[in-house]
Amino acid sequence: MEWTQEEMDRIFNPRVVAVVGAKRDTDYTWVRSVLPLKGKVYSVQIDEREIPGILELGIPNYTCLQDVPEAVDYVIVAVPRAVAPRVLADAIEKRVGGIMFFTAGFAETGTDEGGRLQALLTEMASKAGMKVVGPNCMGIYNPKVGLRFSENQAHGEGGNVGFLSQSGTQAHLLSTVGYSHGLRISKAVSFGNGIVLHAADYLEYLGRDPETEVIGAYIEGVPDGRRFFRVLRDVAAKKPVVVWKAGRSPEGARAARSHTASLAASSRLWDAVLRQCGAIQVDAFDEMLDALKALAYIRPTADRRMGLVATTGGQSVSITDAFASEGLLVPELTARSYQEYAQFFSIIGGSYRNPLDMTPNSGTPKLIRRCLDILGADEHVDAVAYDFNLGLATRERQEFWEGLVAELVGYKDSSSKPFFVSITAGHREEQALRLRQRLAQAGIASYPSFPRAAAAFRRLVEHAAFRREVDEAG
Amino acid sequence: MVGVDVIARARKEGRTVLTEVESKELLREAGIPVVETSLARTSREALAHAERLGYPVVMKIVSPDILHQSDVGGVRLGVRSQAEARLAYRELLAAAARANPGAILHGVSVQRQAAPGVEVVVGMAKDPQFGPFLMFGLGGVLVEVLNDVAFRLVPLARRDARAMVREVKGYPLLAGHRGQPPVDTVALEQALLALSRFAEAHPEIRELDLNPVLAYPQGVLAVDARVVLEGA
Repeated sequence: MEWTQEEMDRIFNPRVVAVVGAKRDTDYTWVRSVLPLKGKVYSVQIDEREIPGILELGIPNYTCLQDVPEAVDYVIVAVPRAVAPRVLADAIEKRVGGIMFFTAGFAETGTDEGGRLQALLTEMASKAGMKVVGPNCMGIYNPKVGLRFSENQAHGEGGNVGFLSQSGTQAHLLSTVGYSHGLRISKAVSFGNGIVLHAADYLEYLGRDPETEVIGAYIEGVPDGRRFFRVLRDVAAKKPVVVWKAGRSPEGARAARSHTASLAASSRLWDAVLRQCGAIQVDAFDEMLDALKALAYIRPTADRRMGLVATTGGQSVSITDAFASEGLLVPELTARSYQEYAQFFSIIGGSYRNPLDMTPNSGTPKLIRRCLDILGADEHVDAVAYDFNLGLATRERQEFWEGLVAELVGYKDSSSKPFFVSITAGHREEQALRLRQRLAQAGIASYPSFPRAAAAFRRLVEHAAFRREVDEAG
Repeated sequence: MVGVDVIARARKEGRTVLTEVESKELLREAGIPVVETSLARTSREALAHAERLGYPVVMKIVSPDILHQSDVGGVRLGVRSQAEARLAYRELLAAAARANPGAILHGVSVQRQAAPGVEVVVGMAKDPQFGPFLMFGLGGVLVEVLNDVAFRLVPLARRDARAMVREVKGYPLLAGHRGQPPVDTVALEQALLALSRFAEAHPEIRELDLNPVLAYPQGVLAVDARVVLEGA
């Protein structure tokens, strides 16, 4: 079954949400998560011992979904699995927009009872045309409307990153860790076993969603590979899609079966499908985060020639290895650049051949900026990466670092070429965190190591090359 | 619709595996360059085919019951004359009878021995989740030992065919290695695209192997082929 954008919008932008089965044991977390909703929240709970705690949160309670006095757009269900079919029947009768089951214990258990219940839910929902998110998941996060699945998630401000995930943890991590890295979510969904709405449905929805500009996907398996292929190919032709196909190893495939009851296709075929569709492939959470940051913050380019700025000699060698091993180039600069550097750049203990070894030339932010300006203007250079090294200074240099950030922002704003930072934290991890957030606010992506910076940028370049090929050849 | 006769005949005989001659006929109709291969039912026909195609020729047993002809001595390479062709015909029939006395024999195939080229392998198979896909690799050790192959789902766009050919690690061998002229990668890509269209038009085909396909500086030529149909 395929769904219209309007139907999907109803559950992604709900005005009325009902929480079924909120409990003191879990500190009413499902109610608390949706308290910021710009709309109306109702609780459905028949256990009289649980009801006072719900009312204390200011949320009206009913003992049956049908009694809720208005139309419900989205239902959050956290009840024991045996009760799930009953709640679904109520939701169908109430004609809600959609229903999410946090409830687990279905096909992923590999038991007859789990399989039977999952088949029952699937059959009931399919017959009624009811949208089911999950089961065995966390559901939908839309910060702008205040729909969350965890109190840890930010709300109020929306973003441009859409995320779909069979894993609740990955969706939770991406929305919380991502926030700290400057990623702002438009809509995210954790969908577990995906019995009615599948990866392809969410991907199609986010592909059409005007607020979503970049998409990430954590996938363990798809029930209809052909449809997924068609949708991914169409969506990736319009927006960048980063795909983390988990469960690639035989051991991982076994884990995926017991996590979300997903069946494995050959890992090599998945590679081919992702490549064919022009999706950006990643294999770990950090890689997903890094790639989304690159897409959200770094100006895209299909060209590979790096200008690298390192604080010291050792750093200049290791940053060069990191970028070269991702297939990026570190060329010599133009004669003109060399003439300009020769006028002021001290080469006693330093070098400006590219990479730049800034050892004797990092005295002031202004001097660093001057070096960056020359590098950024060089015709042999397509993109610039800067090694922001917090570890070497013997004393805190807060003022210097502030000045340097200002110059980096100034450089970035004045240059048409991609620019990003690798932070060498050394032992100053707290400063590194603040620096990362400060740079993110200014729209500069930063990475915690040279290899991660290089890998993220390589993915951006490859994607831009794919885009160029599609635009040229069709 | 190409190949309807060949497929209908196999179906009528209750076969899902097409013979080499049938497979080649089907693929030639699909627009894939295939070495001309003629079926001889008698020694006299074999000689006539060989004369027409020009020596040296390759002769093989054609039997739906003998799929791996070389395993049973069912292949003769470099047959250079009428006398050799006559002898080969007799020996092939004897080998077939030894290997499988009850086998149905269609006869002996005769094809011109192709000039040496870079060997590549092209195939189509189906994945339970993703459906039909194509495979491309370099022949011999690279595909068998190193599994150096590229996959794409059907249907292929032009850029997919291009990417497949360039994705294999052995690509430098195609691009011209140690002073060898580069092979005709455009013709390779066209063969992949033709095969993709063919697979799309024929969902009744389960599996297909072109092994080897010889790639030349100009053109490509499939010299062996095997097509398997879905169960009826």
